Amino acid sequence: MLGHMALGDLEREVMTQLWDAGEPLTVRQVHERLSRQRDLAYTTVMTVLDRLAKKGVVRQQKADRAYKYVPAQTREEMTASVMLDALTSSDDQDAALAYFVGQLPPDALAAAIEAAQKKR
Amino acid sequence: MTALLLGALGLTLSLVVPGLLARARWPDRAPVAAVLLWQSITLTAVLAALGVVLAAPEEVTRAAGSGQFAAEVTVIGALAVAAVIIVRLLLSLIGVSRRSRARRARHRLLVDLLDRAEQHRELGPDNLRILDGALPLAYCVPGREPRVVLSNGVLQVLDREQVDAVLAHEQTHLRHRHEVVMESFTAFYRAVPGPLRSRRPLDAVHLLLEMIADDVARRRVGAAPLRAALEQLSDAVPLADDVKPEADARGRRLARLSSSHKPSVVLNALVTAAAVGLLVLPTVILVVPWLDRALEEWPL
Ligand SMILES: [Zn+2]
Repeated sequence: MLGHMALGDLEREVMTQLWDAGEPLTVRQVHERLSRQRDLAYTTVMTVLDRLAKKGVVRQQKADRAYKYVPAQTREEMTASVMLDALTSSDDQDAALAYFVGQLPPDALAAAIEAAQKKR
Repeated sequence: MTALLLGALGLTLSLVVPGLLARARWPDRAPVAAVLLWQSITLTAVLAALGVVLAAPEEVTRAAGSGQFAAEVTVIGALAVAAVIIVRLLLSLIGVSRRSRARRARHRLLVDLLDRAEQHRELGPDNLRILDGALPLAYCVPGREPRVVLSNGVLQVLDREQVDAVLAHEQTHLRHRHEVVMESFTAFYRAVPGPLRSRRPLDAVHLLLEMIADDVARRRVGAAPLRAALEQLSDAVPLADDVKPEADARGRRLARLSSSHKPSVVLNALVTAAAVGLLVLPTVILVVPWLDRALEEWPL
């Protein structure tokens, strides 16, 4: 049903559209934006948005008669929380990920992420 | 007597040996065998503890010449305690691997969504993900669908050769399933009662796994780019004073990547033999004779 496109790629592109839009979008709006580059079924976009909502990365809002979708976090917020998760150490987390250079204490980490984001 | 000897062995292996081994520098020249030795030490210590639990009551009741009933109660008690130890270890292992898997799955989902795919088409591997952000960050998410994650900052700070070195290092963690080793040591650490816990094996094995990944990356791209990448990223990610072991680990990894460092085949063979011997010999020398005796006299 998804044709040649991998589901993961499609999820990423849908998220990118929602992030770039900066406002809640309906399924139709997301579908329109994605259809500029390729042929894509409306139901496919609906399925993907539904999946993303179930995973908690997208929120569903009821507006008039249509559902609108909005990212649960901005791209910057999600990036920062992923980095925080990646770099924070605790007994249990030692085994979960592996690093090239080690982990940081939480306060140093928050400062480092903030400083790095400003530098861009 | 068996119980005393096993107890002494277990205490030596859990209280004395880890400190000595963690301070030693020779494992840097034989990291694979050294990981094997840590595994053997830990497993033998657990087996020794189980041996004490099973052998001590039997030896005491036999020495005291207790009757049939007392002997039966003691044996059942001993088996129960041994079962508790084993169950505790297994539950810890299941818990650690379940929590790690959940965390990795969530992490993988997020890096897949955040990936800037357009930035790394020419870098190669399918499982690579690039995050926005100037903080240089390189790590991997192990599992059935593994990912290597770099931040954009890494691509800004490192040249192509150095990036390849980092990728080779991370792919080694994934291919060699280093997370399974870390999970088992983490599970053991958490299963040990608080006051007896020591992070030594955990930290030492972690560093050894880094060295193993470094060795594979060095063979693939050469020591120089790997060393440069490590230096660049260490400078970019400042360490606080309270993570001295981490800073020490970086120093040891860098030292090994200098030209004078050579892995030693002889040392590897010796340490591997020691690891196997440690696991097998106590069983043969202590446990088998005791089991012979005990089975003849046990009331079961
Ligand atoms: Zn590593």
